[in-house]
Amino acid sequence: MPEWLQVVLRSLLFLTGLFATTKLLGKRQLSQLSFFEYVTGITIGSIGGELVTGVEKNIMHGLLGLAIFAGIPFLVGFISLKNKAFRDFMEGRGVVFIKNGKIMEENLKKERYTIDELLELLRKKDVFQVSDVEFAVLEAAGDLSILLKKENQPLTPKDLNLQVASIKEPQTVIMDGKILDEPLSTINQSRNWLNTELDKLGVTIENVFLGQVDSYGQLTVDLFDDKIEVPPPTEMPLLLATMKKCQADLELFALGTEKEEAKDMYSKNSEKLQKVIDKVEHILKG
Amino acid sequence: MTVASSVKQCLASLKGAEASLSSLTSRTQDDESRRTLHEAMMEVNEIVTDLKKRIGELEREEPQYKGF
Repeated sequence: MPEWLQVVLRSLLFLTGLFATTKLLGKRQLSQLSFFEYVTGITIGSIGGELVTGVEKNIMHGLLGLAIFAGIPFLVGFISLKNKAFRDFMEGRGVVFIKNGKIMEENLKKERYTIDELLELLRKKDVFQVSDVEFAVLEAAGDLSILLKKENQPLTPKDLNLQVASIKEPQTVIMDGKILDEPLSTINQSRNWLNTELDKLGVTIENVFLGQVDSYGQLTVDLFDDKIEVPPPTEMPLLLATMKKCQADLELFALGTEKEEAKDMYSKNSEKLQKVIDKVEHILKG
Repeated sequence: MTVASSVKQCLASLKGAEASLSSLTSRTQDDESRRTLHEAMMEVNEIVTDLKKRIGELEREEPQYKGF
């Protein structure tokens, strides 16, 4: 067998082998490396590289090495799942860098971080002033997690006592002019319904690049032809306006009639409708 | 426009609102919002019933405005 063919065969073998190994070890190997995963990751890579080009080396030795370097992290991962102390030892623990708004100098020294590096990590999280931070911890994976002081945290609807409509994830029902049936059935709708909605917007399915349905069943589309303006959904604002108009009408009727009984009925219902409006306004305003 | 016809118009709008609320209820994925919308629909329905009764009275008092 010529050497080049061997290289090709070995490359294919190791490509599939390494792919399978990484799959087996899971997504963690890709995203956050613990000490252990860092070491094994590097070694598995170099064993693979070495064996692919070094045709004079025995392929079995390499595979054995790979198996061990893949098997032990797998085992360690398994034990780590069960045992907290073992997990802390193998994967390391977070170290508190800032507590009660004060920098913990000893911890910084212990992890051999300089104040410049701490500032850099803070800046990566858009924090330029240490006094804005209430609590910060250096995670085992080496990134800094911070809790800002309450007054520096972004404003949320809860802070303002605002009632907001809860939402579910939108479903993508049209891609590249084709209807996706699975998301459509997730929201309990049919192709028929989708076609009607498209007719309402006045667009054809072929022209739709992307179509999504939000949690209130409203369809929004992006067209291939960007010159065509698609109207935003109007049903919910229209409904709110109708209810407000009716409420005002009822009040007018209450003022206009002279019959006591009817007056009572009108004003009672206008109040009732006002309550309904208050209740659903946050949903309809979206 | 007579009183009877404006009340009728209001009734029609309310019926429309009720229908919109009903269709919105059936399409909404979120449970809490669905409940709120359903309650709103029921209440609008009660108002519609009251108005219908009133229109009946108006028509009896002024038969010339019967129908639309």
